[in-house]
Amino acid sequence: MSNAEKNLISVEDLVVEYHSGGETIHAVNGVSFSLEKGKTIGLVGETGAGKTSIAKAILRILPDHATQAVRGKINFKGQELLSIPEKEMCALRGKSISMIFQDPMTALNPVKPVVEQIAEGLRRHQNMSKAQSIQGAIKMLETVGISEDRAYEYPHQFSGGMKQRVVIAIALACNPELLIADEPTTALDVTIQAQVMDLMKNLQKELGTALILITHDLGVVAEVCDYVAVVYAGQVVEYGSREEVFDHPSHPYTVGLFGALPDLSKNVHRLSPVEGLPPDPSNLPEGCSFAPRCPRALEGCRKAPVGMSKIGDTHIVRCLLDGKEDSHGTVRD
Amino acid sequence: MALLEIEHLKKYFPSPRGTVHAVDDITFSINKGETMGLVGESGCGKSTLGRTIIHLLESTDGVIRFEGKDVTHLKKDGLKKLREDMQIIFQDPYSSLNPRLTLRDTVMEPLKLSGRYTDAQVQAETDRLMDLVGLEKRFRESYPHELDGGRRQRVGIARAIALNPKFVVCDEPVSALDVSIQAQILNLLMDLQEEYDLTYLFVTHDLSVVRHISTNICVMYLGQMVETAPTQELFDHPMHPYTKALLSAIPTVDIHNRTERILLKGEINSPINPKPGCRFAKRCLYATERCHEPVELQEVAPGHFCSCPRAKELSL
Repeated sequence: MSNAEKNLISVEDLVVEYHSGGETIHAVNGVSFSLEKGKTIGLVGETGAGKTSIAKAILRILPDHATQAVRGKINFKGQELLSIPEKEMCALRGKSISMIFQDPMTALNPVKPVVEQIAEGLRRHQNMSKAQSIQGAIKMLETVGISEDRAYEYPHQFSGGMKQRVVIAIALACNPELLIADEPTTALDVTIQAQVMDLMKNLQKELGTALILITHDLGVVAEVCDYVAVVYAGQVVEYGSREEVFDHPSHPYTVGLFGALPDLSKNVHRLSPVEGLPPDPSNLPEGCSFAPRCPRALEGCRKAPVGMSKIGDTHIVRCLLDGKEDSHGTVRD
Repeated sequence: MALLEIEHLKKYFPSPRGTVHAVDDITFSINKGETMGLVGESGCGKSTLGRTIIHLLESTDGVIRFEGKDVTHLKKDGLKKLREDMQIIFQDPYSSLNPRLTLRDTVMEPLKLSGRYTDAQVQAETDRLMDLVGLEKRFRESYPHELDGGRRQRVGIARAIALNPKFVVCDEPVSALDVSIQAQILNLLMDLQEEYDLTYLFVTHDLSVVRHISTNICVMYLGQMVETAPTQELFDHPMHPYTKALLSAIPTVDIHNRTERILLKGEINSPINPKPGCRFAKRCLYATERCHEPVELQEVAPGHFCSCPRAKELSL
């Protein structure tokens, strides 16, 4: 089987630009990745790196009035998502591709009982009758650990963790092939985060769903992802299997992210943060966008955009140093 | 010497459905120059405790002693003087700065109000503070909305340390920031502590941050302290089932040595009119009959206190 057939979704050279006050904001600048059925990829990066724009571009839910351009290719099971009619896209959303949003407090309709909000999708996509859809919704609630007697309650009657379970139930109700989860546990406490991650992992195993997990938390990535894409200033700067990226972080930015984490198993007195701030997306540097903050930038880094180089089986990095030095500063050959 | 001691401190709030026991009988002390880390999940009362200690909220019962003096019921002038010594850095640098003041004016305000300085000194001192927290000159006349979270938090810190306080409550100061910025701010807080011998109460839900910065740690659950110990001791030998579960839930970046997760069932219960006994019992894997009788902190190792009645026999 060729790669193209094996992949459930492949994103190629995705570009998203917004316009605001006469300026063009370059949110996503040529992102490519692909994902097989049942696998998980983690998109890691800081606020403003363009992670959420990538997700919204896939679902085509970017705000029209602010979006200047969306270019590139998004192939989902042979369909070109960026060019199919809106009607066909509607049929995919919530059915084949669904999304879990970051904030469960605002993602739910406050004036509808939760069971109704799950049943909605079932009626829309599975042609169920009202009674059937309610039955299905209650079953879904039970799957995520909410008992039937709370089905007719409203979102405000639930705690944060339970609201996020409802959001997960809505997203998974129609058995989607691809789930995009945008910081699904960021708003939750660690113990509840552990519950929710555990639930998502189990459901994914059961249903064979592919997952794009957007997060800034490397710990969460280590826990659930097969592949990792590190996103900086709208570009993937490092990509590889979880082992490749965690064992041999190769882009200076990835190395910096690891250095900035207080590590539970080591006693480091001072953290080594990445100095400075991400670049202004309306005014990106000419060369590598990380060069202004990079402790190891070379002359060539600032001159022209840097391409991706292959340094391992699936491991690629956007750096002129080609990951020749790993995080310990030792040279690998 | 203990700079701050609190004894049996309580803060209750009335509510239509009963009394909320937000902080219920907390006792600890913090030595000068040290950091007490206060951890727990949202709603466990850790921020309320921090705010009660520095008198942003009035305590319901108990004693707060600062430098050996009882300051629990200070009013007016006495309180004003105390506030110079006790400061707070808030969680959200977006909402804790006045949007209509430039950053310079924000940092200048406490200096002016103190009456300690002449006009010229105020200017010089403001610049010194902003240098100290690493806020670049070109941003000093900006308004808060023009800056990123990290720089705003630097302003929050400059304002808090403006009058050389002895004690600072850091209420989730890095929770709203990205990891790389978070590390910059944590380094800054530790540098300031070393230089000015500051004492911190560091409130956070992030256990890796608290381990990094604290001398001692106090774990709260539903308004009560369930365990307290020196940092290393707490991470090496957690005795309370809740602490154990909390530590196991932290996602770590080590992909080769995964530790076993303890998944807690259910959620935190309500702090309204809680029943006597261990408040964690409902979710605890080891709860027995006697956990529903009143529990007390016991010293399980030197400096290590735990409220679990079964701590010793369980030896988790």
